[in-house]
Amino acid sequence: MGAALCWRRRHPRFESLSMAQKMQQYVDVERGMPEKRAAPERRQDFNEVYRRFEDRQAVEQSSRCEQCGIPFCQVHCPLQNNIPDWLQLAAEGRLEEAYQTSQATNTFPEICGRICPHDRLCEGSCVLEQSRHDTVTIGAVESYITDTAWDKGWVQPPRPARERDASVGIIGGGPAGLAAADQLRRQGYQVDVYDRHDRMGGLLIYGIPNFKLDKALVERRTKLLADGGVRYHLEFEIGRDATLGDLRNKHDAVLIASGVYKARGIAIPGVGLGGINQAMAYLIASNRKGLGERVAAFDDGTLNAAGKNVVVIGGGDTAMDCARTALRQGAKSVKCLYRRDRANMPGSKTEVANAEEEGIEFVWLSAPAAFLGEETVSAIRVQRIHLGVADASGRQMPQVIGDSGFTIETDMVIKALGFEAEDVPRLFGEAGLGKTSWGTIAIDAASKMTNLDGVFAAGDIIRGASLVVMAIRDGRQAAQGIDRYLGAKAGQSLAMAS
Amino acid sequence: MPETGETFVRNWRANARRLAQKGLYDPAHEHQSCGVGLVAAIDGRARREVVDAGIKALQRLWHRGAVDADGKTGDGAGIHVQVPQDFFKAHIRRTGHEPSRGSLAVGMVFLPKTDLGAQEKCRSIVETEILRFGYTIYGWRQVPVNVEIIGEKANVTRPEIEQIMIANNLGVGGDQFQTHLYIIRRRIEQQVLAKNISEFYICSLSCRTIVYKGMFLAEQLSAFYPDLLDERFVSNFALYHQRYSTNTFPTWRLAQPFRMLAHNGEINTLAGNVNWTASHEPRMASEVLGEYIDDVRPIIQPGSSDSEALDAMFELLVRCGRPAPAAEALLIPESINQNTTMPEAHKALFTYCTNVMEPWDGPAAICATDGRWAIAGLDRNGLRPLRYTITNNDLLIVGSETGMVEVPEAEVVEKGRVGPGGMIAIDLLEGRFYHDKEIKDLIAGRQPYGEWVKNITRPDSFIKNKAKSSPPLTAEQLRRRQTAFGLTMEDLELILHPMVEMGVETTGSMGDDTPLAVLSDNYRGLHHFFRQAFSQVTNPPIDSLRERRVMTLRTRLGNLGNILVEEASQCNLLLLESPVLSNAEFEAMRNHMGETACEIDCTFDPSSDSQPLRSALDRICREAEDAVRGGVTHLFLTDMAMCKERATIPMILATGAVHGHLVRQSLRTFTSLNIRSAECFDVHYFAVLIGAGATTVNANLAEESIADRHRRGLFGKMTLKDCLDNYKTAIDKGLLKIMSKMGIGVISSYRGGCNFEAVGLSRALVAEFFPGMATRISGIGLSGMESKVIEMHAKAYAEEATPLPVGGFYRFRSGGEAHGHQGRLIHILQNAVNTESYTIYKRYSEGISDLPPIYLRDLLDFKSANPPVSADEMESITAIRKRLVSPAISLGALSPEAHETLSIAMNRIGAKSASGEGGEDPARYKRRANGDNASSAIKQVASGRFGVTAEYLNNCHEIEIKMAQGAKPGEGGQLPGRKVTELIAALRMSTPGVTLISPPPHHDIYSIEDLAQLIYDLKQINPDASVCVKLVARAGVGTIAAGVAKAKADVILISGHDGGTGASPQSSIKYAGLPWEMGLSEVHQVLTLNRLRHNVKLRVDGGLKTGRDIVIAAMLGAEEFGIGTTSLIAMGCIMVRQCHSNTCPVGICTQNPDLREKFTGTPEKVVNLFTFLAEEASEILASLGVTSFDEIIGRTDLLMQVSRGAAHLDDLDLNPLLVKSDPGPFPARCTLEGRNEVPDTLDARMIDDAKHLLDAGEKMQLTYSVRNTHRAVGARVSSLITRRYGMKGLDPDHFTIRLRGSAGQSLGAFAVQGMTLEVHGDANDYVGKGLSGGIIVLRPPLPSALESYKNVIIGNTVLYGATAGKLFAAGQAGDRFCVRNSGAQAVVEGCGSNGCEYMTNGVAVILGPVGANFAAGMTGGMAFVHDPENVFPLKVNPDSVIHLRIETQYWEDVVKVLIGQHVRRTHSRFAYRLLNDWELERDSFWQVVPMEMLDKLEHPVTREDKENWRAAGE
Repeated sequence: MGAALCWRRRHPRFESLSMAQKMQQYVDVERGMPEKRAAPERRQDFNEVYRRFEDRQAVEQSSRCEQCGIPFCQVHCPLQNNIPDWLQLAAEGRLEEAYQTSQATNTFPEICGRICPHDRLCEGSCVLEQSRHDTVTIGAVESYITDTAWDKGWVQPPRPARERDASVGIIGGGPAGLAAADQLRRQGYQVDVYDRHDRMGGLLIYGIPNFKLDKALVERRTKLLADGGVRYHLEFEIGRDATLGDLRNKHDAVLIASGVYKARGIAIPGVGLGGINQAMAYLIASNRKGLGERVAAFDDGTLNAAGKNVVVIGGGDTAMDCARTALRQGAKSVKCLYRRDRANMPGSKTEVANAEEEGIEFVWLSAPAAFLGEETVSAIRVQRIHLGVADASGRQMPQVIGDSGFTIETDMVIKALGFEAEDVPRLFGEAGLGKTSWGTIAIDAASKMTNLDGVFAAGDIIRGASLVVMAIRDGRQAAQGIDRYLGAKAGQSLAMAS
Repeated sequence: MPETGETFVRNWRANARRLAQKGLYDPAHEHQSCGVGLVAAIDGRARREVVDAGIKALQRLWHRGAVDADGKTGDGAGIHVQVPQDFFKAHIRRTGHEPSRGSLAVGMVFLPKTDLGAQEKCRSIVETEILRFGYTIYGWRQVPVNVEIIGEKANVTRPEIEQIMIANNLGVGGDQFQTHLYIIRRRIEQQVLAKNISEFYICSLSCRTIVYKGMFLAEQLSAFYPDLLDERFVSNFALYHQRYSTNTFPTWRLAQPFRMLAHNGEINTLAGNVNWTASHEPRMASEVLGEYIDDVRPIIQPGSSDSEALDAMFELLVRCGRPAPAAEALLIPESINQNTTMPEAHKALFTYCTNVMEPWDGPAAICATDGRWAIAGLDRNGLRPLRYTITNNDLLIVGSETGMVEVPEAEVVEKGRVGPGGMIAIDLLEGRFYHDKEIKDLIAGRQPYGEWVKNITRPDSFIKNKAKSSPPLTAEQLRRRQTAFGLTMEDLELILHPMVEMGVETTGSMGDDTPLAVLSDNYRGLHHFFRQAFSQVTNPPIDSLRERRVMTLRTRLGNLGNILVEEASQCNLLLLESPVLSNAEFEAMRNHMGETACEIDCTFDPSSDSQPLRSALDRICREAEDAVRGGVTHLFLTDMAMCKERATIPMILATGAVHGHLVRQSLRTFTSLNIRSAECFDVHYFAVLIGAGATTVNANLAEESIADRHRRGLFGKMTLKDCLDNYKTAIDKGLLKIMSKMGIGVISSYRGGCNFEAVGLSRALVAEFFPGMATRISGIGLSGMESKVIEMHAKAYAEEATPLPVGGFYRFRSGGEAHGHQGRLIHILQNAVNTESYTIYKRYSEGISDLPPIYLRDLLDFKSANPPVSADEMESITAIRKRLVSPAISLGALSPEAHETLSIAMNRIGAKSASGEGGEDPARYKRRANGDNASSAIKQVASGRFGVTAEYLNNCHEIEIKMAQGAKPGEGGQLPGRKVTELIAALRMSTPGVTLISPPPHHDIYSIEDLAQLIYDLKQINPDASVCVKLVARAGVGTIAAGVAKAKADVILISGHDGGTGASPQSSIKYAGLPWEMGLSEVHQVLTLNRLRHNVKLRVDGGLKTGRDIVIAAMLGAEEFGIGTTSLIAMGCIMVRQCHSNTCPVGICTQNPDLREKFTGTPEKVVNLFTFLAEEASEILASLGVTSFDEIIGRTDLLMQVSRGAAHLDDLDLNPLLVKSDPGPFPARCTLEGRNEVPDTLDARMIDDAKHLLDAGEKMQLTYSVRNTHRAVGARVSSLITRRYGMKGLDPDHFTIRLRGSAGQSLGAFAVQGMTLEVHGDANDYVGKGLSGGIIVLRPPLPSALESYKNVIIGNTVLYGATAGKLFAAGQAGDRFCVRNSGAQAVVEGCGSNGCEYMTNGVAVILGPVGANFAAGMTGGMAFVHDPENVFPLKVNPDSVIHLRIETQYWEDVVKVLIGQHVRRTHSRFAYRLLNDWELERDSFWQVVPMEMLDKLEHPVTREDKENWRAAGE
């Protein structure tokens, strides 16, 4: 009876045991990111920091997913992306299905995959992260899936099953506006997008530096929509080229997705000195340069950091974008001044780490007290900050420590202190448009409509400066609201006609 | 003031009626079980001795029945004997008449006692019907009874007991007289029924036999009926029975024996059998009965118990000409697959039987007589004991136990047992005894069955060959159809894909926390409303994996004939191996049938008229009826015509409608009913279709979906055929599993039985389409269903195609079903317990109540007229916390860290944690240095008995018997080898890395009296602990609980279907069991009704999350509350639901050491949770103006329904849950102090006599004589030894107890090292149960002339869960010898079926033949079987073991040493001869080795392996 051992090799149960389990590989597979270009290399150019996942890596990293009963990644994703599902599909090499699943809830997955603060959203909530096994690399897989889809030609312009007569005007070609445009176009609506810049994309094209989001990605997205029949109106400023009322007459519904662009100021001595710049102006100039344009304020050196000692004020993602841009422009040194500490900064932890690698110096717990200098700024007087006990909201309040001042030498300051809403009703010539106490536009939570019939709003203009992913969500929800609104309207007119 | 019998009876009746109408109680769920037996004179000569023996035997059976609190009212007992003609003739002569020659007939009649009018009416009916047939009457005789000895309650319900004596004045032959009496009796019964008189009952009406029975204790039989003491009362047989019922109401007619048989057990297939009997009725015709056939219909009286129904069918068959043994073979056939050595003639017989009729599946031990034959038999599973003794003066004594009739050993010529599917018989006329094979030879020879069964067509081959698939659906058609039935990606990926890839159903974990179908906003297929029924306590489930051979899916198609005759044409049938057909097979079969088949389109135009679904159902019923009346024998119901314009009737509804319509038209048996359904997708849907009456099922869309995925390359290299085969395999296995939960082995008996309970279906809809199925809270009706179907159809065929949604039913997804455990709330709760913040906890609790309705309790709210009370008046939080329990989660599922944390936390607050199955590290029994106690207060005893030792059972305050688990009631479990770490293996006494199986049933509980026995055993081994029995909510759980309470349980735990699990099949998690709200409320109502409530504590668990849940549970009747999943969440669980895959990232449900390091739970967090729950509950109580929990238990008047569910429902009525039962003079809550004590056994005397041992540790030897009523001998003493000296504190043989006679059940249960029990005689079932180191020796007594190896010496289920010790028995053992043995060494001289099943350790040496299915599921240990005949290879189940002749010296020595010990201790001559002739015998031994052990054995078993391993090691 020598069969004892050979028998085991034959027996189906043993075979099935040896069959590879596809998911839940985190037990054996460690977290991995796509290859990150070395800091010395990447500070030389504006190309993206991360390379794309190799196929094998993407499969392996996706397979780490635990396929939880409650996918906290989805729970904490503003778009409620079905992350475990496309991770499983990716792990099984079913990329086209993965792409379809991913794009079903997200208009720009490859963009979110690059610029979302994953460590605060999906990846930060990932069960594996919570339980100290290191998160699944969700963002990178997300980008990988849709990048592959583009390569393979799976990404197609919206092709509505039927055209509808109703038309929608969208003010603002940023993520919220474009997300809405995409959804509405798929339903067959006639969509016109108005933007005051000379390119579509809003923040995506001009606000975010190329090393985080390659502009080619944004341009192929805007082109895709145009191919699908979305009409663009560039350098079209509401209030200048038309009023909101004009648009309401022209379209059956209007969506305001104009974003917030009014920079927050800082009221300290010396704020009027030369060499002190607004973050957005600085970033736009850099991005336009990158897109091969002539930009006077850059070319004359005003917005070029090359050879300068730069200080960026602020702790958000914009501050970091400015700092890292300055570095790439050839700044002598770049410091980032923030009044709270690392743990309490709003920007993405990953980005802080990347920035530090590249040579940015963070000056925590520091607030500018005065800008010093004759005509242009030459130094900043800085005060040390102590963080007090957390208040009800859980945030620690900064308190200035007396006699703690010190000075930082600088010849270029970039203020990145956040943005506020412009006075849209006045700007758009529609005084009746309702606002919130924050100055943003007020909408009804369920219908997404403003107080004006047929006028909707989405994105930063309703919530203040926020994430791209929030803008996409708002845009998609507003599109649903518009669809319901137009559907109801069509129903009414049908009823009246009969 | 105590309640008088009279008030009790009056109140009980009123109460029961009210509860049945308005509450949750259904008398149909009453169960009964018992002991049964037969004494017969083999020579057929009537003797007084026989009757005497019968009466004596009953006196030895009392422990298998139950006794009321009055100590007098029993559940019933009776005896069936020959009519003593002399006795009655003498009586007639005394009245002045001269009886005519020949046999007179006697009717034993129960008449209404108090209603004299009714009594007179009954007499007149009886007389009229007798006279109408032309017979004359000698007169009535008032049967003398002694009412002194019966209980007050029994007396109040006592009927007037009279006998009517009838002359055979027509001079007809005995058989014909008997037939006429049968017809007369049926006519009388119909007449009385028509007059609405309920107390009337005819025990027997026969010229040959008579039944005496009633509601007294078994030993009081002859005292109550002095007739039986009369010397003239002679008989050649005496059939007797002791009943155990699940209520306390004494119902005289339900005492057994019935007219022909007495039954011990339960008929699992009852629902199907009753339905099919009704369907067969129109075709029944018999020469014997002729036109009288109409008088005997309906065969089964409405409201019959299972035994009564079986008796009725048995009687009919016998009256129509079948001898009793043949009737038994037809009704309860042996399994052909199980018996691999079955002769061809028997196979033909049983093939014929199973094709003619649907078997009545046990568990059943029956003793029956038709006047000429006396038989005793077991069903195919053989789950009831049946032992027999034959004496040298021609007496046969058969019964549930050996030793019931004391026979001097010298007179015994044979001691045997009846095996599964076996039968013994006596032809009383010819005076001959038949063994199993002999009687079957006789029956099989009655007709040319072998020729007949050749007529059966087996189309499997030709439909497979001809199978050609129709063109596939386009991608769009596919997606639209999938959308129409609400399919999601989750269904395809999580459910379908694994079935195709692996051929098995997907496993999931944690409980179901999605809304009941009726409460969901989403579309839920009709199958979601059907909850699978399952067995617990009163009948056992089957192991569909390891005991596959007693099960069959064989499906016959065609025109079923007249079951009363035997003829060749009955085999003109098609026989499929499985009802599951592929598309191609379905079409091939359809084509093959040609003209004999008719296809019925089950789609409808959703826009047609006002009630399109209703009209469509009417149409298909009409079409079906027309077709069958036109001669069609196969109906095909299909929904293939579905398209944009046509929506489908839910096929479950279509099936129920057509099946029901054909049954009502008496046409069902003329046709097969074949269903093609697109919605049918998972195994549950198949089961519902078949349960609703489908013959075959084709899941068309599932197959298309598989083909689509196959085209897309998702199944790798598998061919499409492989894929479809695997899917079918998975469904087949799933169907077997679902049937096995009910203990049903044969699909023909499952079909049409609707073994489900509906939750959320309207009463009207169920009454129309699924009659007989329980639906107690009503719900969605036809119109609601119609609107849902049309809505989904519109969505599916909308212009813009929508992709399939991702799902969310099994795992949370945004936009899918709501889940009770919600991501954000979990974090809030964890935050609350981490920071000890009650404020944050309240946010969690508010969040829970803001969820959409998920559970029934979400539709309830509190009401109270009392003003709130202040917090300082309240019962303390500490007191409330003591009511909380962390329910059983085994170490094995949980990591050791998590398990200990729970125990420590619960002990700190004086509450209880339950250990779960799998033992506990004895190190935990010692107090920790910091004062913590890590020992679980409740120790669980589950079916696997892992780690259940004397020490384990003595280190607790409560012992919990897990009968079922909410997430998978009726199923066993499996701990895969990779989870069996060193620690777990040590606790479970097994080998690391080797799979451990928990069987579906407790192998010592197949019936309620068995549970009583286990409770008895546990109360012996731990004289202080109370005993809890865990049940799962289902319809009828109330009556089961009543039985459990009568079995002396102290706590009953009701689990909801939503209870957690470490691993269960998804369809079980989702579709089995009921919400605890329904179960708890029913249990509380029925216990109160039966005056049992105050003696038993009720506990509840299943998805309890907040203080509100706890208060609602208390108001529905619970005293204690288990919080499982939520307590895991407090320790850091985040509902990953991957417990089954050992990858729990938070280290709670895993054994992986790396993951265990991530565990962050602490006792403090758990304590915080339980404190918050108690505080919140206390707040609610205060707001209701109540100061303590005791005041609200069962107070349903403080609850009200606040929502009736969605608008489209017919109704949703929770009032049945809120009905209150009148408790009589007792409180409606538990007032028991301590525990319900059980009577003493021999140990009481032993303890007195063993003072020297127990006090001073001296070596002792004691001697007693023993009887079968002495149960669990040795357990109590073992407890004392364990407590004093430890389980291994004494040397072996330190304390020897010698016993003479027949030992009762559970001899030596949990006996510990140092104790030796030597029995000179024999023993019953469960010898050495849980043996913990003791030695048990059994040998025939000295005067015996029996050859030990040819006779039976011990019963069934020996050494169940034994962990150490030895057993030597000089004789054969019964079934399931060494089942789940994990350490004992044993030598016996033969054993019954399923030997060494699930064994994980230890050694079994069997020196004689073994029964079928040996070593099924054996994963550890070693067995040796002496088999000179070389038949063992046919008996072994090769799935998990290999067998080989002994090849290595090491193992040869092991065997020899054990046989040597056996010889020394038992003096077995047979064994001595084997040793003596060892050189000759050695090669007749087989060695049986579990495969998983092969690479783990220290000593190889093969010569070759030895070489290989050496090579591998280098």
